[in-house]
Amino acid sequence: MFYRQSGIHHTRYAATRKLWPLAADRRLLGGLLALALLAPLLLPELYLNSYLAPWLIWTAAALSLTLLMGIAGQLHFGFAAVMAIGAYTSIHLARAGVPFELALVGAGLAAALIGCVFGAAALRVKGLYLVMATLAMQYLVSWVIINVPAISGGAQATLATPEVRLLFIPLDGDTALYYTALGWTLSCTLLLLNIKRSSVGRALVAVRDKDFAAAVIGVDPLRYKLLAFFTSSFLGGVSGAILAFCYYQAVTPEQFGFNVSIQLVAMVLVGGLGSVIGAYLGAGFILLLPIVLTNLLAWVAGLELFPVSFNLIAHIPLMVYGALIIAVILFEPLGLAKIYDNIRKYFLVWPFRHAQR
Amino acid sequence: MTTTRQDHDPDEVILECAAVSRWFGGLQALKGIDLHIHRGEIFGLVGPNGSGKTTLVNAITGFYPPQQGEIRYRGERISGLKPHRIARKGVARTFQNVALFRGLSVLDNILLGRHLFMRPSILGAAFYWWWAEREEVAHRGRVEEVIDLLQLESVRDEPVDVIPLGMQKRVELARALCAEPGFLVLDEPMAGMNQEEKEYMVRFILDARDAMGTTMLLIEHHMDVVTAICNRAVVLNNGEKIAEGPTREAINDPTVVAAYIGRVKDAA
Repeated sequence: MFYRQSGIHHTRYAATRKLWPLAADRRLLGGLLALALLAPLLLPELYLNSYLAPWLIWTAAALSLTLLMGIAGQLHFGFAAVMAIGAYTSIHLARAGVPFELALVGAGLAAALIGCVFGAAALRVKGLYLVMATLAMQYLVSWVIINVPAISGGAQATLATPEVRLLFIPLDGDTALYYTALGWTLSCTLLLLNIKRSSVGRALVAVRDKDFAAAVIGVDPLRYKLLAFFTSSFLGGVSGAILAFCYYQAVTPEQFGFNVSIQLVAMVLVGGLGSVIGAYLGAGFILLLPIVLTNLLAWVAGLELFPVSFNLIAHIPLMVYGALIIAVILFEPLGLAKIYDNIRKYFLVWPFRHAQR
Repeated sequence: MTTTRQDHDPDEVILECAAVSRWFGGLQALKGIDLHIHRGEIFGLVGPNGSGKTTLVNAITGFYPPQQGEIRYRGERISGLKPHRIARKGVARTFQNVALFRGLSVLDNILLGRHLFMRPSILGAAFYWWWAEREEVAHRGRVEEVIDLLQLESVRDEPVDVIPLGMQKRVELARALCAEPGFLVLDEPMAGMNQEEKEYMVRFILDARDAMGTTMLLIEHHMDVVTAICNRAVVLNNGEKIAEGPTREAINDPTVVAAYIGRVKDAA
C-alpha cells in the first residue's frame, strides 16, 4: 500500500544499495527527523531530558553493542564496563582541560584499547566462554574504578562533569545536551547502516556465520573479531562519555554495574540482533516500559479501588519486564525489529498476502 | 567429451604436493602423497569414503597443515600458512557441505568473494558516500559478470538459505570464482544433485575454466562426471595413492576397481 515498489527501476549499481529505496520510508524518516530536531520546542523539559535524551543515548550504546553481538556475533556481557571506561576517561580528560571533542576521542580510544585486551580472549574462545571472559572484564573494571581513588575520586564518590564546550557551543542547558545526544546517536546509526552495506560489514558477518568459510575467501577471522571489538568498544566508550555528560552529569561506579550490562544485552536481544532499528526499539522498550508501568500502577493505586503496596509498585515493572523479554525471545527471536518488518511487509503487499522481496 | 582435449600445459605445474603426510592421533590419513597439477587442467581426485580426499584438500587449503612433506603453489611453499594467507595467494575452494553465510543474500555472499581485492575498513564505511561506494560499485560489476556466467540472476536478492541446494552449490562456486583464483578446489560440487542439476554444474565448471582459465581440482563420486571433464585423475585409498594418470586409465586400474568393489576372488 504505502510501500509500493513498482516504478522503482535500478539503472545503476549504486542505486540498488541506497539506504532507503522506498519513498514511503524516506518520508517517514524525514518526518521523524524533523520531530527529533524540533523536540526541544515541542516537548516540555521533563520529557526532553528524562525520556528522550536517555533513550537516544542508550540507543547509541545498544547500536555499539549490536555491532559486536549482532553483526560480528561475539557475545559481550560486560559492555557497561566499556561505557564506564569511556565515561571516566572523558571526565578526567575534560577536568584536565582537554577540549571536549578530544576528550570524547580519548574516551573512545581508552575503552577500545582496554576492550581489545579483553577482546583478545575472544580470539581463543567462543560462546559461553566468551561470556565468562567479558563478565570478568565487567567485574575487573568495576573493581579497579571503585578501588583506585585516582579514577573514582575515592570510595562512594561522585564525580561531577565539568563545564565543557562542544564545537564552541557551551554544553549547558537541556537543548544543547539533547542535540549532542541526538547528533551522536544519528552518527552511530549512519555508521552502522553503512558498515552493514559495505565490505567490512560483510566480512564481519562472514566471520560470525562460518569462520572457516570466511578464511577460505581470504578474510582473516582473528583480525575481524578484533576489529569488531575495537570499533564496538570505541563507540561504547564515547556513548558512555555522552551518557555521563549529557544525561547523568556526574558519574559513580554504580551507574555502570553488571545489571546495566544485562540491560544492554536485553536491549540488543529484544530489539533484534544486528538490527539498527532494533536498537532504537529495544532501548525504548527496556528503558521506557518500566517507567510507563510504574506510572500506570501509581495511577491504579491512586484510584484506591484496592490496596496497592509500595512494594508491589516497585516490583511489578520488573516482573512484567522479565516476562516480556521471555515472550519476545520465545515468539519472535529476531526481536521487535522483525515485528516491525512483518508489519511493513504486510502493507508492502496489501491487500494480498504473499511478500516477495 | 573432453578427455581427449589437451588444452592444459604439462610444463607448468600450478600445484605440487611432495610426500604429504597427515596424522590424526594414531590414524595416518595421508601417506606420502605426491601430486602435480598442471596449468589449465581439471584434475580428478577420487577414492572410496574415508580415503583421504578431503583431508588432502584441507591440507592444501591450510585447515590441516601436513605434518610431513610440502605443498607448493606456483613453486612457492604454502603448507604451514594460515587458510586466509593461502587464499590470498590465489587458492580458492568450495565445501562438500555448502558453506555459505546464511545471514546474507546471494549477492552479498558472492560479493564476499571479492574480499581479497577490496580494502574494507570502518572509516571507509563511515564515509561510505565518498569512499566505500566507488569500490562497492566497481566490484559489483565484476560480480555481475560471474552471476551472468553461472545464471544466478533470478536469485540474486534472495536470502541464501531459502534457495534450493543446487542453486546454493552454484552460489558457492560463484563466490569462489569471484576471487579469480589461480587454483580452485571443488569438493563434491555435485553431491546430492539430480541428473539435470549435475549436467548444469558440469557445464558451469567447464565454462568457468574456459572463461577464466582456472586450474581445478575436482573431488567427485559421480564417475561419469569425472571421466567426462577431468584431464587426469588420482585415486586414493586409505590415504595412499593407488593410481594416477589420464582419467579413464586411472579409474579402470584393477587396484582401483578392487578398492571400490573388492576383488573377484573375495566375492561370495
